[in-house]
Amino acid sequence: MNVLDVLDQPDVISPGISACIGCNVELTLRTVMKVLGKNSVLAIPPGCMGGVGVVGWDKKSGAEIPVFFPLLTNTASMLTGLRLAYKRQGRGDIHVVAFAGDGASVDAGFQALSGAAERNDRIIYICYDNEGYMNTGYQRSGSTPKGAWTSTTPYGKLQIKKDMPRIMADHRIPYVSTCSPAYMRDLVEKVEKAKRNEAGFSYLHILNPCVSGWGFPPEESIEIARLSVKTRYFPLYEVVNGKYRITVDVPHSLPVSDYVSRLKKFSRISEPALAEMQELIDQQWQELKALEKVGVKPCSSA
Amino acid sequence: MSHNYVAPVGVEGIYIIKTGKWRTQHPVLVEDKCVKCGKCFMFCPVGAIKRENDRYRIDLEYCKGCGICSHECPTKAIKMVGEEGK
Amino acid sequence: MSHVEVMTGNRAASTAACLARPEVIAAYPITPQSSVVEDISKAIAVGKLDALISEVESEHSAMSVLEGATLGGVRTFSATSSQGLAFMYEPYFRASTLRLPIVMAIANREMISPQTLWASAQDSLSVRDAGWIQYYVENNQEILDTILQAFRVAEDKRVLLPINICYDGFYLSHMSERVDVPDQSEVDAFLPQCYKPEHIYLDPDRPMAVDPLTNGDLLMEYRQKHLEAQQRALTVIEEVSENFCNLFGRHWDGCVEAYKINYNTKGAIITLGSMTGAAREAIDRLQSEGLSIGLIKIRVVRPFPKTELRELLSGIKAVGVVDRNVCFGWNTGIIYQEVLAAISSSPSIIHQPFIAGLGGEDITIEMFETAARQVVALAQKKDGPRDQETIWLRSVSEEVDE
Repeated sequence: MNVLDVLDQPDVISPGISACIGCNVELTLRTVMKVLGKNSVLAIPPGCMGGVGVVGWDKKSGAEIPVFFPLLTNTASMLTGLRLAYKRQGRGDIHVVAFAGDGASVDAGFQALSGAAERNDRIIYICYDNEGYMNTGYQRSGSTPKGAWTSTTPYGKLQIKKDMPRIMADHRIPYVSTCSPAYMRDLVEKVEKAKRNEAGFSYLHILNPCVSGWGFPPEESIEIARLSVKTRYFPLYEVVNGKYRITVDVPHSLPVSDYVSRLKKFSRISEPALAEMQELIDQQWQELKALEKVGVKPCSSA
Repeated sequence: MSHNYVAPVGVEGIYIIKTGKWRTQHPVLVEDKCVKCGKCFMFCPVGAIKRENDRYRIDLEYCKGCGICSHECPTKAIKMVGEEGK
Repeated sequence: MSHVEVMTGNRAASTAACLARPEVIAAYPITPQSSVVEDISKAIAVGKLDALISEVESEHSAMSVLEGATLGGVRTFSATSSQGLAFMYEPYFRASTLRLPIVMAIANREMISPQTLWASAQDSLSVRDAGWIQYYVENNQEILDTILQAFRVAEDKRVLLPINICYDGFYLSHMSERVDVPDQSEVDAFLPQCYKPEHIYLDPDRPMAVDPLTNGDLLMEYRQKHLEAQQRALTVIEEVSENFCNLFGRHWDGCVEAYKINYNTKGAIITLGSMTGAAREAIDRLQSEGLSIGLIKIRVVRPFPKTELRELLSGIKAVGVVDRNVCFGWNTGIIYQEVLAAISSSPSIIHQPFIAGLGGEDITIEMFETAARQVVALAQKKDGPRDQETIWLRSVSEEVDE
């Protein structure tokens, strides 16, 4: 697969949306939709992408494909309904896609997401994780890491980040993966797998460092994303029918301080908290390595 | 379909914000340094870098001047130049 | 040809829903509605209903699934009660403002707290201003007939609004009555074969944005159109009622029914829902004593049939409204407030609020007699205030001898 050929496909999102300068969520959305193509319907819950005009304004649309605002709390459920309608109409080829922030997925929209995954409804759910409610002023979410500044945790969040990809994998849906905009070939391959998944639910969790909310220069947007992977802070893996596989191996990891020191949001993090973060990263990496070794008979709830 | 809009729908074209007006700097491609790796094209968030037969061209219409293309370019073939009057 | 069955209100609801051929159903069980969901699940499983059901994890998701499906372009149905209705309020408001013709039965149940499972209209009346059309029905036949009518009204191009059919929990949901069940071909002749949206949909062949961010002035335009659609619904409801009567022989009097009221009648009791049965008995008894008192049953609360109600009350001297609910803040019931608004241009009528039957308590024939006698007395007054203090109709508590 020539990733450049794939990325050379039409961009169905409006060319002028008011995402922050250097926003890699904008990059991710455009990329993902190039892969999924025009035979798709896109759900954008309230959050950054909705706020910047992807659903449109007044009587104009923000995309060339059908696009709509679910509520913050019900993206996955609305898509379940859409999928059932298309099933009734024999239009199973249409891709039913969510592009939802961490707020809509990890917090307020979690019940709907978990329910749809448990039912194994055939939707492609992509979570863009900028680790907070960035569009509304950088408030904390369940996906904010411990020690991070947010507008509602000015001295650093006290609790650890909810591990959504593992939680979704434990629903035993056919396809789960983590992606990064810095690893485009890996991301494109994973979106293509989701596109081909006819057995049920696909969940993709993408870490999107936020220029405005995390505090780093816009031109470093991709570099920061790369560091999140190279420090094992955000491992890139996939779980296909229950089988774990790290897709971008990091045999010699950089210390997490290389990543944390670049971000204003961690400027108050204490030494013990940083050490704890490193331990958690090491622990999670060990767990992933162990999970890779587990043999799995595919679960089917198709 | 009948357009008396009883429900809130966006059917009158695409909503486009002139984001090209935001920037305080813009990228300039130095052709002879370009090794056509495609990274700028891959990482531009607004799609300002166009690919034409293995060559890359910058279309400034929506460019916000983020500098990602310049920063990611492995051969420093893109430099960021200040906008006039900003 | 139709056939007769003895069935509960919940069974009447699920039977009607199946006959209407919805294509996607999503519902979450809640007392006293649960058997509606069970019936429909069974009907689909045995192939009696050709539809898909989503076994949702909550009512919030039930309404959300139906909105997604309706946007996809299929007919949908659900049912709920009290806490479930409250939980789905977030997407519920949107079903009407997106102009999605979803039909949902509500087995009326009191809102918690106190902890309760039993009937009152508090649940559906608390959400009366979320833009849905609301019918309140008296018996199981009316449940079945009204659900069928609702699909016609909802999908009518002049309306395009979702509809609730509300019926008292336990009193109707769990009580068995004789019901005439039309057969599928008769219902097919009455209802359009399927729902084909022209105004809002998600279809890659005809792309549009659904619900973009909207400025205030445009929002006002949509709201105005919505209010106008509710007003047009008053006519459509009557039309469909007539048409239904022509095909099936049963008429439920559109939005408002007058019982034993003529141009001489001086007093009226107003009821909603299943309590009407007991009220009719009481009126019969009092009329046989020669008292001038009749009954008005309000069948549609949204849109509120103010013109029809005003006409019916034009010669009336005193009206009593029996509410199986409360209107916090006004120290009366909710339907009383609605009636008051409708008759505000009739300064001479005396109006008496009653509250009864909360938490599933029985509103007995004797209670209605008491209420009716009170209204008769008020109708004979020459002067005095129009407003009256709320009367609570409660059963007399008995002392237990130890």
